[in-house]
Amino acid sequence: MKGNDLVICRCEEITRADIEEVISQGVTRMNEVKRLTRAGMGLCQGKTCGRLVAGILARETGQSLQELKPSTSRPPTRVLTLGVLAGSKPDND
Amino acid sequence: MRIEDHPILGKVERGRKITLKVDGEPVMAFEGETIAAALIASGQRVFRYTEKRVEPRGVFCALGRCTDCVMTVDGQPNVRTCVTPARDGMIIQMQGTPDQRETALDAGEGEG
Repeated sequence: MKGNDLVICRCEEITRADIEEVISQGVTRMNEVKRLTRAGMGLCQGKTCGRLVAGILARETGQSLQELKPSTSRPPTRVLTLGVLAGSKPDND
Repeated sequence: MRIEDHPILGKVERGRKITLKVDGEPVMAFEGETIAAALIASGQRVFRYTEKRVEPRGVFCALGRCTDCVMTVDGQPNVRTCVTPARDGMIIQMQGTPDQRETALDAGEGEG
């Protein structure tokens, strides 16, 4: 497997090449990478790929990891059924 | 394979034997272990196929974070099998198998 083919966001199946592509178009922030590629918008909500995306973005744009703001997190951070939001009792948990 | 004697946790106590139905086939499990543990012990490595590239996925993080091991459990999709305890008679199905995709495409779903 070539390095560029490497899946970075496992939920949305976004590769390193996909992320580097948007960075080459001038993207400098985590939120921008997320919205343009969908990396971090899948089932796990970026728990797996967040640090990897930050690493790529920092390296490619010459920013330090400390100055990169993480992308915005919004609830729910876990998979829910619509029934839970509608107030009915879930079958599981 | 199951750990019988853990170097730190000691001897593993198991619940009673139960049976899961995984894609129509019976799979033996011990009550209290996770669905993923039972599947791995039965030799199953592929838990689902991905939506875009149709690649096989299984246990990745094994602690409920990455959602790579999700399956349909008793009709509820996207259940994290690595943190969901097995219960007797559970009906478990793989998601996104090539067969299922063909059926969905034939029915005109899955496009757009």
